[in-house]
Amino acid sequence: MTAIQQSNASSSGSGSGNLYDVLELILDRGLVIDAFVRVSLVGIEILKIDVRVVVASVDTYLRFAEACNRLDLESGRKAPSQLTDLVGEATESGAKGKSKGALTGAVEAFTESLHKGQEGSEEEAEERPARKSTSSSSRRTARRRED
Amino acid sequence: MATYLYAITGADHPLQLSGVTGVGDPAAQLRTVRTKELCAVVSDAPDGLRAKRRDVAAHQSVQERLLADGAALPMRFGLVGPDDAQVVSALEEHRDTYTQRLEEVDGCREYHLKVARDEDDMLREVVRESAEVRRLNDRTRQHPEAYDDKVALGELISQEVQARQDRARTDIVDRLAPLAVRIADVEPTKQHFLSVSFLVEREKAAAFSEAVHAEAERRSDTYTFGLHGPLPPYSFV
Repeated sequence: MTAIQQSNASSSGSGSGNLYDVLELILDRGLVIDAFVRVSLVGIEILKIDVRVVVASVDTYLRFAEACNRLDLESGRKAPSQLTDLVGEATESGAKGKSKGALTGAVEAFTESLHKGQEGSEEEAEERPARKSTSSSSRRTARRRED
Repeated sequence: MATYLYAITGADHPLQLSGVTGVGDPAAQLRTVRTKELCAVVSDAPDGLRAKRRDVAAHQSVQERLLADGAALPMRFGLVGPDDAQVVSALEEHRDTYTQRLEEVDGCREYHLKVARDEDDMLREVVRESAEVRRLNDRTRQHPEAYDDKVALGELISQEVQARQDRARTDIVDRLAPLAVRIADVEPTKQHFLSVSFLVEREKAAAFSEAVHAEAERRSDTYTFGLHGPLPPYSFV
């Protein structure tokens, strides 16, 4: 019952609707030749944060402590299924909002339910329209397909 | 004129590049630079090139086109050499390395998995399972001015969170590893405790995707799984 977001950046000719999702790979991975230079990535490097430093700081400790103080300790156990659905949605749309902020216009949302039977259809060349799963409406998959 | 590099392929790659253009505005014309065994897909490097969305997308489109017809080593975005002759020198100098890597990634795609977990859910678990966290939490709730206790609480939570994330990360990666040829761990981000790339053979792609969904299914809905792929093997070259 976990929210799944699946995408395929290799959407030929589509202008990579989810370029942001793989931006760190394109900008930060890939082969380099030592003697060659790289163009400036000014304005994009803000994506990179040293997480270890952030996590082990007093600011983080205080934030955790306050979050814990505020926590409704019961709601996690008693949450009705409707509420858990909302949690999943909030998480997913929150991630998309962030994406858009970081690389303007790079992200388009393609939602589609997970269809087990279509897992093997790697040869499909079309994006599929949004669709609801018949088996479980709380499992949601944003996906692009192509090969 | 400086030369922008997109990818390196074997000399036998069909290199069908019609309809694909390079970085810059107007988009640069793609061309190839060849040695006996290898081929580099390049273009002129536009002046003042930056990582604009259009340019990153162009770079990515070239990879996708090349990957459709055979093995290719994707360059990192923005790599510029002095001229074509220097590209030839680089191809010759690193010939054995590039040839070997092309063999390694042949028939494979990269799949990138990100997993996040709702923070409140994680905190509730920590509170449930640690008496000391409960004690400090009660204390700081009653005494909001107790700074040292707050820091101590936060530090303890931070350790507990890290430990749980490490366990979950190992757990998930271990279960998916048998379906991958190689794995490349990316530094987790603030948002995702797991960010890992898997190099997967094409024939195993469907099984891999199934396994990720099964893994997501095992976990509660406070986890968010994001799977991206098939991608050029950026993390494995």
